[in-house]
Amino acid sequence: MTERLGLGALLAHPANGGLRLIAGPPDAGWSEVAIESTEADLPDEGADRLAILTAPPPDSPWQQDALVRRTRDRGYAALALPHADGFGTGTRTLADRLGLAILHVDRPMVLAKACWHLLEARDALSLEVVRKVAQSIEYHAEGLRDLLRNLSANVGHGIALVDSEGVLSEAGGHLDPAVHAAVDFAPWVDIARTGDGGTFASVRVDSPSREGLRLGFFGTGLGEAQVSALAVAAEVAMPAVAARILIDEVADVNDASVSSGVLRDFVDLRGAPEADVERRMLERGWRTAGYHLGFRIIGRSRLDALQLLRFVTGRLGDIPADSHATTSGRGVSGWLTFVEPPTPTQVESLISALRDLHVACRRSFNVATGVGSLESGSTGLFTTLNEATDAARVAMGRSATGWFVRVDGLGLEQLLLAWTDNDTFVPAAQSLLAPLQEGGGELLTTLAAYLDHESGIAPTAAALGLHRNTVSSRIQRVQELLGIDMDDPEARLALHLACRVVRH
Amino acid sequence: MARTLELAQLPALGRGFSLLGSGGGGSTTMLELLLADPSLWPITIHDVRDLDPSLPCLGGAFVGSTMLLGERLVGDGPFDELIAAAERWVGEPAAAVCSLEGGGMNGLTPMVVAGERMVLDADLTGRAVPGLDQMSLLVDQVPGVIATCDTGAGGVMLVDARRPVDLETLIRSAIVQAGGVGGTVFAGFTVGDLVEHAVHGSTERALRLGEGYLATRSASLPELAAALHGRVLGQGRITAIEPDARDPHVNAVDVEGMHGEVHRIVTRSETLAFMTDGRLEASAPSIIVTLDAVSRDILEVTDLTMSRNVAVIELPAPGWWSADPRRLRHVMPSVYGLAGLDGLAGLGGLAGLVGPTGLDGAA
Repeated sequence: MTERLGLGALLAHPANGGLRLIAGPPDAGWSEVAIESTEADLPDEGADRLAILTAPPPDSPWQQDALVRRTRDRGYAALALPHADGFGTGTRTLADRLGLAILHVDRPMVLAKACWHLLEARDALSLEVVRKVAQSIEYHAEGLRDLLRNLSANVGHGIALVDSEGVLSEAGGHLDPAVHAAVDFAPWVDIARTGDGGTFASVRVDSPSREGLRLGFFGTGLGEAQVSALAVAAEVAMPAVAARILIDEVADVNDASVSSGVLRDFVDLRGAPEADVERRMLERGWRTAGYHLGFRIIGRSRLDALQLLRFVTGRLGDIPADSHATTSGRGVSGWLTFVEPPTPTQVESLISALRDLHVACRRSFNVATGVGSLESGSTGLFTTLNEATDAARVAMGRSATGWFVRVDGLGLEQLLLAWTDNDTFVPAAQSLLAPLQEGGGELLTTLAAYLDHESGIAPTAAALGLHRNTVSSRIQRVQELLGIDMDDPEARLALHLACRVVRH
Repeated sequence: MARTLELAQLPALGRGFSLLGSGGGGSTTMLELLLADPSLWPITIHDVRDLDPSLPCLGGAFVGSTMLLGERLVGDGPFDELIAAAERWVGEPAAAVCSLEGGGMNGLTPMVVAGERMVLDADLTGRAVPGLDQMSLLVDQVPGVIATCDTGAGGVMLVDARRPVDLETLIRSAIVQAGGVGGTVFAGFTVGDLVEHAVHGSTERALRLGEGYLATRSASLPELAAALHGRVLGQGRITAIEPDARDPHVNAVDVEGMHGEVHRIVTRSETLAFMTDGRLEASAPSIIVTLDAVSRDILEVTDLTMSRNVAVIELPAPGWWSADPRRLRHVMPSVYGLAGLDGLAGLGGLAGLVGPTGLDGAA
């Protein structure tokens, strides 16, 4: 079976012997190839063939001119030979003028083999590609990316794992978004092409954990033979990739649960040193020495913490700091670590980066994020993580700040509230203040205003628009109802907090 | 038939020999100044067939770097010592003088050398060539030819060599010793030897070419070429000058033609070949004249500089060379080791035979 062989296809072939276009038309194509050692040995009838010479050309410019001329006069459409990159501008201009494509090739016999593959031995081409895929699988891969890199390097073309949204992982080049847009996700094998020669030969990935994935090889200017060989290669590589996705997921779950456990143990110690925990942290590359900035991302509704973690770790690489994260409860806890204390400006830019991360997370997950303050050492790590947890809790109810709160920007009172806003304090406060509910709650309002105004009758009256006597009689009544000594600072604080929690 | 030349014809003669120089042979200016003395004129030029064949004859030429002649002026009677030594060796005074090189400055040299002797319209090349072993008498291996040359500070060397290449090499080294440029005189042959073994009528041809050139200098290029009985090879702008990897004297000059053609001028001490679009259009011994496209000045190979606009015309080669393939192979580009430029088939494969530095090239 023969077909027309395009220059683009030959240039895109991974084993083309170092082929480069030196001069002449870039869109040349041939249906036959003539291979000889010198120009004199070439068949007289060029018939629009590609001539491959194994011997280098003569080195005088006029002889190179004459070589180009004679080759073209005999009807050849292209001339590939070693050392063609040494051709001067005159010879190149002549080739352009005569319409003869001049190709430089480092190893002419390799080019000859590539031509044979592409023109006459498509099955051999497919077999060779499949053999290369098999070789790639044989090598140990650290993960999916590593496997894709192996495949791409061995086959010699770019490889990409895509879903309908975009590229999930790729190696050996960059898949043009225009080509991705042309992919049909329904069929088993799909060949996507764009007008400018971009091609993506993909197959559906049968993965139990992820739907709608496709794996394929891509390239520019590929010929029909190459594309069909690459489609076969994708089919052969697909099961390995699907298995790898599964293995990686199991490993991820395992890893996340282990690291989550380590973090839990560390937090339980409240920053106190403990040899075993420290060793386990070090094994994960977590250092307690240095400066830390904690953050916590939690779901405002039910979510898969592992997926969130995968997303977060993917994005953390964009932040220029040593970062760690793991699942914890219904969210993700993490921190940035620095050997030297970062300047306030740096801290601001890091927090802004964390905000970007939060915004990115919110596109896929309903989350709230809290960020702690910069702290140092083992205790500091505990502190900043704890602050982040508190801030995240506050952020849960803060739509005004986009569900993002940093501890430095938090009022102490808010923090206190966040602290007291738990299951034990709220009922206690409610029962404490229950007697004041009589009479439409005016007593509670007056008490809250009174405490807010430092137990001053006059300011309270002014704030509420009441007469001073009214205020003082109401406070008296409160004292009677609650039976609490309002001069005791402890009691006053508890009462003040209870007011806030109940009124909130 | 004898011909009388007047001083007024000297400029035409000078331009004519410049054209026959094929881009080499040196500027005729210095000799035109030497010959500007009206007492030397008129000069009678004799046809070799009109004279007694037994008359002893000699020829003279400047050898070495022609550019040096512009810096070191020629003294009074530059060939006197050389002629005296040659006549002493031969044993009788020469009655006639011919030219060694019928192109470039040496076309005018016999008139300087002549003195009382008869000037012949005969020379040993019909164009400029770089090597003394390319003289027609040596190419045809005429026996008894000897040569004298300057060795510097008034010294004279006489060479009676059996192999032409020895003569070339020895004189070349003596000229280097003499400071890069000097005279040489060939003797030991007769007028009769020149009938068969020399190019005739180059002076006549130079005069006609010079007159034609001066008359049509401002006309269109085809008209100018027609006046020279030549052929326009091309016109364009020099876009690159690529020196040869093996021979530093060889340059391939890229000329971008008026209509996009890719011309190449291959030069050594003379212009040796001209190609258009990878096809050989002309090559030595054809005479390839390069003119400045604007001023129509006749350019030497050293005047071919980047971005210059040039016009190239081919003039027919002297018939003496092409009369015999054995002669031809002494003057085609392959004799300088340049492959792929010989105009006639079947004579290739002689590359690397001789590699002289050049009669008129840089010493």
